[in-house]
Amino acid sequence: MRFAVDTGGTFTDLIVEDDAGICRMFKASTTPSDPVKGVLDALQVAADGMDLDRRAMLEGGSLLIHGTTHAINAIITGRTARTALLTSEGHPDVLMLREGGRAEAFNFNIGFPEPYIPRSLTFEVPGRLRLDGAELAPFDDAAVLAIIEKLKAKQVEAVAVCLLWSVVNPAHEARVGALLEQHLPGVPYTLSHRLNPSLREFRRASSAAVDASLKPLMGHYMSGLQQRLGDAGFSGRVLVITSNAGVIDAQDAAEAPIHIVNSGPSMAPVAGRWFSQTDEGNSNAIVADTGGTTYDVSLVRRGQIPMTRETWIGEPYSGVMLGFPWVDVKSVGAGGGSIAWVDTGGLLHVGPQSAGAVPGPVAYGRGGELPTVTDASVALGHLDPDYFLGGTMTLDRAGAEAAIRKHVAEPLGKSVAEAADAILAIATENMVQAIVDITVNQGIDPREAVLIGGGGAAGLNSVRIAQRLGCGTLVIPSVGATLSAAGALMSDLKAEYHAACFASTARFDFDRVNAALARLQASCEEFGAASGAIRQPVIRFKAEARYDTQVWEIEAPVRGPRFAGDVDVAAFVGDFHAAHRDLFGFADEASPIEIVGWTASITCPLRDAEGLTLPSNAVAQTARTRNAYFAATGWTDVPVRRFDAMHPGEAVEGPALLENALTTVVIDPGAVATRRASGGLSIAIGEKQ
Amino acid sequence: MSIMPEEAMDGVRLAILNNRFEGVTRKMANTLLRTGRSGVLNVARDFSCCVVTADCELLATNEGLPIHVLSGPDIMARVMKEYHPDLKRGDAFLNNSPYHGCSHAADHTLLVPVIDDEGRHRFTVVVKAHQADIGNSIPTTYHGAAKDVYEEGALIFPSIRVQTDYETNADFRRMCEMRIRVPEQWWGDFLAMVGAARIGEREILAIATEEGWDELDRFRRDWLDYSERRMVDAIGALPAGKSVRTSRHDPFPGTPADGIEVKVEVTVHSNEATVEIDLTDNPDCLPCGLNLSEACSRTAAMVGVFNAIEHSVPKNAGSFRRIDVKLRENCIVGIPRHPTSTSVSTTNVADRVANAVQAALAEVGEGFGLAECGAVIPPAVGVVSGVHPDTGQPFVNQLFLGMSGGAGAPRADAWVTIGHVGNAGLCYVDSVELDELRQPLYVYSRYLMRDTEGAGRSKGAPSIEVVFGPRDCELSVGYVSDGAVNPAQGVRGGLEGGRGDQYRILADGSREQLAPCAQVTLLPGEKIVSVSTGGGGYGAPHERDPEAVAHDVSEGLVSKDRARAVYAVALGADGRPDLDETAALRAAAAQAATGG
Repeated sequence: MRFAVDTGGTFTDLIVEDDAGICRMFKASTTPSDPVKGVLDALQVAADGMDLDRRAMLEGGSLLIHGTTHAINAIITGRTARTALLTSEGHPDVLMLREGGRAEAFNFNIGFPEPYIPRSLTFEVPGRLRLDGAELAPFDDAAVLAIIEKLKAKQVEAVAVCLLWSVVNPAHEARVGALLEQHLPGVPYTLSHRLNPSLREFRRASSAAVDASLKPLMGHYMSGLQQRLGDAGFSGRVLVITSNAGVIDAQDAAEAPIHIVNSGPSMAPVAGRWFSQTDEGNSNAIVADTGGTTYDVSLVRRGQIPMTRETWIGEPYSGVMLGFPWVDVKSVGAGGGSIAWVDTGGLLHVGPQSAGAVPGPVAYGRGGELPTVTDASVALGHLDPDYFLGGTMTLDRAGAEAAIRKHVAEPLGKSVAEAADAILAIATENMVQAIVDITVNQGIDPREAVLIGGGGAAGLNSVRIAQRLGCGTLVIPSVGATLSAAGALMSDLKAEYHAACFASTARFDFDRVNAALARLQASCEEFGAASGAIRQPVIRFKAEARYDTQVWEIEAPVRGPRFAGDVDVAAFVGDFHAAHRDLFGFADEASPIEIVGWTASITCPLRDAEGLTLPSNAVAQTARTRNAYFAATGWTDVPVRRFDAMHPGEAVEGPALLENALTTVVIDPGAVATRRASGGLSIAIGEKQ
Repeated sequence: MSIMPEEAMDGVRLAILNNRFEGVTRKMANTLLRTGRSGVLNVARDFSCCVVTADCELLATNEGLPIHVLSGPDIMARVMKEYHPDLKRGDAFLNNSPYHGCSHAADHTLLVPVIDDEGRHRFTVVVKAHQADIGNSIPTTYHGAAKDVYEEGALIFPSIRVQTDYETNADFRRMCEMRIRVPEQWWGDFLAMVGAARIGEREILAIATEEGWDELDRFRRDWLDYSERRMVDAIGALPAGKSVRTSRHDPFPGTPADGIEVKVEVTVHSNEATVEIDLTDNPDCLPCGLNLSEACSRTAAMVGVFNAIEHSVPKNAGSFRRIDVKLRENCIVGIPRHPTSTSVSTTNVADRVANAVQAALAEVGEGFGLAECGAVIPPAVGVVSGVHPDTGQPFVNQLFLGMSGGAGAPRADAWVTIGHVGNAGLCYVDSVELDELRQPLYVYSRYLMRDTEGAGRSKGAPSIEVVFGPRDCELSVGYVSDGAVNPAQGVRGGLEGGRGDQYRILADGSREQLAPCAQVTLLPGEKIVSVSTGGGGYGAPHERDPEAVAHDVSEGLVSKDRARAVYAVALGADGRPDLDETAALRAAAAQAATGG
């Protein structure tokens, strides 16, 4: 038996796969102060749901895959360890200055962000290396020992070390590490060249700082998780979801916690990839996850999940930079809780303010007074006030309508229904722009991709989003409401190794590059041998490269671990031009190409089955209709169907409302929904009405 | 869908179509940033992308450099139409002429007319990007000492057709390759600009296919009206009044001995909801590169206004209707006549204009305006050139190692890395490792300097000191650093920011003061020390939250002595503010100030 548990802010999602390969979905409330309790609670809900004893169920478990927001929450709320930063002499402001940049040119209401580690805990280490690794100024043991005394006095709980050019010559950083081991035992530390051997000292320093600051906390969390699962009867392997759509052993996560910081949204595209390929035979997908406050968009491009190094927690330029590749996710503050408002010039806005979970939309009746996207869906009759979350919650439709009337309809001179429709239109547009941004960045044409709607609120406007983007097909997977947990179950054990070996195609240093690639391959093979993979692991190589004098690299494939001669370089050059053309629409054929980093990744499959199989359960279907509003039809009675009661292959034409216990899918006029064998809905998007 | 042209578009359609047009400019900007080749483009983000209507009104811009976009694209679009009445799909025009609407010669601007299927000109997309080199007489794009455009030396393109049927004119390319020092880099940037402009063109054509040209025309009209209404509200919130303020640029070669004083007269007409900025009472153009182009004169004044009011007002021709900038011909902050040089038009004197305007508006009312931002361009942001010792190839590139200059604001401390007022902090800061990889130099140190912040209730940025020098070669550094004599001023009782400075450290360790505007050659073993200017403070230092002062002290940005002397904050042995003693210090100071 296998378990995938995804801890979110509100709910802990669980999918259990039994030994016959049948998967079942469960949800329990998250306990923010003790997330492991939420994990155990969800397992209890599952045991109850399957008429099993929890201990017996867990004793039969071989694997538990866990996604956690514990690390990212600690960063956001500042509950990380008291961490010091050791930099090269002369460069203590590396985290203060960052890479510059600012988001809004005319907004002077936002002050300059504080550095991740304060200046008062930053220390300068004598010794300076040249870019070829030679010493420009000598290292000084005594000075470092003096710094260590200050670290003791300041009761530092973790140490990050980032020295200039340590990626070319790690000797100075390694010596700092040795001195810390010896003179500051028990205090965890991170050396930048070991964690993230890439150029650009700010990103490396930031990686090291975040990683070190999480070590005490995440070490404690991981050992607590394993201990308590063990006490509950589980003796299998515990894996944790990484930010780059793989999983690693819990112990590895404790030793380099930066890898799991963004484990939350990284699994949606893994699941999305499978549904897009199986249900629609399309290897390009836009995977959207609609939450209460944010809308997360990730991609699948030709079967691969694109990564990015622009990894900010919080806002770009002012947030925390991880400096580590993760699944490229574009998040916008647009969700069911986003608030609609009209400005002094008469323009309707939705968000970025959110009613969040508390007080939540007006319809929740928890004190919310400002109209939200959810309220709009209630007012339009799209959401059934009596069957929300399977009837576990009743919605206040009159309250939602009153709030829309007061704050949107009257200022705009519209009816409540028109205003509610307008709120959805603007929310849709915000979401569409998020998709446009990320697809442009990654060179994907939305018209050639499938849109995958994940998250409980995805069904409310995903048809409209697909219409606006020109996507032909929208898929709402059967496990859409627990998309990340589903992805976790499908994921592979992964490791990535990086080398910052600068090279140019104008004067290619075969020996150096081949040596670096050979080291990367050896690291992968060593990992693979100990991985417990059930099939032959796959090793892939790629380069971060750019045209001569560009500064922003793109990823280009490297065909193998060795450049034997000019033919191989020419092949790489051709692949780079193609990648550049894919992304930006042109190539500079005459320009040399610079490579600033090389990456080898190894993927170790852990599971034989592909995809997920849900139990087939017939649900009685009674014909119902509901009065609902669509801009194209006005108020009209539309059919309401349980979509888990539809037969595979059965089609329903819009306008229609398809519901199950966890979600409602609005089928706008012109669209046709067909149930797939996988259990999900495939919706053909008609022409815009 | 039937359309009634007289009917105003509602707030929903407006929001949606605006979102799409902004999306177009974002797409263009993203392409340019990620594919550009020179540091000034891909690091400093010294570029902008915008959409101009067929009537040559600015409609939508990316979040680009303020000094680039507000005025200029409109003038250049008019010039394009006037010189080329036969616009066709596939055309592209290059304009870098400060006499024809461009900011300065370094800002190559590509204009692509968007033509509908009937051959009608509907919009113009504009991509402007500062170049690494433009063929000036010396290897810098900021030639402060140039007495005229001939000495400046740039190739000037007054709206030249460089593409027909989407193909680049090969004559033009060969010409540039003969005159620009880094031809491959220039060509790479040109390709990036074309890529961005063509994406903009394609996107607008796609929106029109979906929505119809008439609908876009309605959007154009109503969006500009909406923006004007927002501006009316924003200006209406300002107290009425007139404020005259000066800001003085340091003496440079070609200027009078006491520098250049810029005088702005700002009048807020709250009832009519307009702001008038009169720049006519200023000196005639000077025989140096500091004169402003018309685009920069107008834009700098507008930047000062937009920095002073509610920030969310859209910046386009609609809101501009409420700003009246008065200029005169042959004025250093007006409309230059050929062959006046405007080589450094986007920074030095332009910053003095914008700073004076925002400071004047700060004095009009509490809660508005902004202190003065710091001045530029220090050596750490200069143009370096030489011959690379490893390859023997010449190199020219602008560094962005450190400028600060942020101004104190009514509701927040400065954004430290604002650069200068015309850049607004969009500029990235160079990575030491990337700079050392790209150019034969070492960056020895880079610090925020203690006690250089513009003290105030909201503090201005401190100065940054950067020390760098050549690696195994000679290194030429060109810079034009204002702000050593006339630092950034505070407003409403706020104090001035740190002053700019630069000197050479010789191989024997001795120091040699360097001129503020110079082209310096460093020998192997020598170093240059670059000190950026800080920004001014907003409000009196004695009004600053004592906890914030204590934090600054603990972070090493403000000394304990300065905390007491300037902020009147007493700190205990534990570094926490002593609130009783602080209150007493501040009360005594207040009493002394009122003559008690």
